[in-house]
Amino acid sequence: MDFLDILKQKAFLGREFLTWLWFKSEQTGGRIEISGDKTVQVVFLDRMTLDLSDAETPQSVAIRGEHSQLREGIAALREGKKIEEARVSVSAGQDEFTLILKGTWFAFGSLRTPAVLPSEEEDPEEGPEGRLLEKVHLIEEGIEIIDVLFAHFLKIRISEEWDSQELPMLRKWIASSDH
Amino acid sequence: MGLASRSVSIFRYRVRGDVEGPFWETVEEGIKGNAFRETQSSGDVVGMGWTSLNDFADTRFERTPYVVGNYVALSFRIDTIRIAPRILEMHVKAETRYFLAQTEQKRLSAAQSRELKESVKERLTRQALPSIQIYDLMWDTATGTVYLGTHSPRARERVEEYFKKSFGPTLVPLIPYVRAEELLEGKSDRRLLEDLRPASMLS
Repeated sequence: MDFLDILKQKAFLGREFLTWLWFKSEQTGGRIEISGDKTVQVVFLDRMTLDLSDAETPQSVAIRGEHSQLREGIAALREGKKIEEARVSVSAGQDEFTLILKGTWFAFGSLRTPAVLPSEEEDPEEGPEGRLLEKVHLIEEGIEIIDVLFAHFLKIRISEEWDSQELPMLRKWIASSDH
Repeated sequence: MGLASRSVSIFRYRVRGDVEGPFWETVEEGIKGNAFRETQSSGDVVGMGWTSLNDFADTRFERTPYVVGNYVALSFRIDTIRIAPRILEMHVKAETRYFLAQTEQKRLSAAQSRELKESVKERLTRQALPSIQIYDLMWDTATGTVYLGTHSPRARERVEEYFKKSFGPTLVPLIPYVRAEELLEGKSDRRLLEDLRPASMLS
């Protein structure tokens, strides 16, 4: 399969991940336990876009507002749509990152990392290169948290647990949530 | 919006394929041989190439090195001039009137019309100031990852082409499926991934 075929045929993977992530974050109060005693905090913030991924003509709906208003997204899930992008906050320790996570391309929009050291405090020997390195390491730290969550999702998604437990719970959440 | 900004947009690539020859020498040649320069093309692009990440006017990498730790830090700069269609039309009309009066012709031939339009466009392009676009790029040479500071499809396409032309390897977007193939270890897991079909989340 060439790249464009993969992009088209497997786009559902990113959307399923984002939809599962919202479910998981709601179900766990925003604290998702990853195997190996690791916990990642995930909060869905003030905007998301949902898409009817399997349709011939894309039908998308954008929802903006505070956390509670995002629950309108549940109505869209009930129409068979899945999340294409969402603004989330994630942290796996002290550092917190906010970003718009995009499902199809797995791209990271408006990624805000913790601040790097102000320039007056920077090590004169390192100079601007030191600041740049620090910034890139922070970007990588934020992306790594998303990768950890994605790997956790994949493990469940390819296992029997998906059909026997996770998907039924997810369906129940979509069907029974108030909005 | 540069990589050093408070809020950044990141597109992630895997670098596929090898850099031919001694790595750092080839990278240096790739950067310096493809550093920003003005071009003479018939399209809107009037300049293109790599610049220093901290200073897009520095095309010789004199003020900022392009090697930062194990990263190659660059900006891709592209200068374009687009003459607004109505401005072009106005000047072409004026030039046509002048040409017909001078030559006492009644109308222009198709070839004359084309030539006149081209020459007017060239003159206007010389007079105009370009629009400068800058896209920051960090290449982690240890992991073979490239972080590009834009999501724009047109910009991505240009950077992907230019990266390949400069260094040899291909930039493969780390879309979920490609990243999943990397994250899952073992053939059986990858087979399960390959066989996945969309799940209906409706009861």
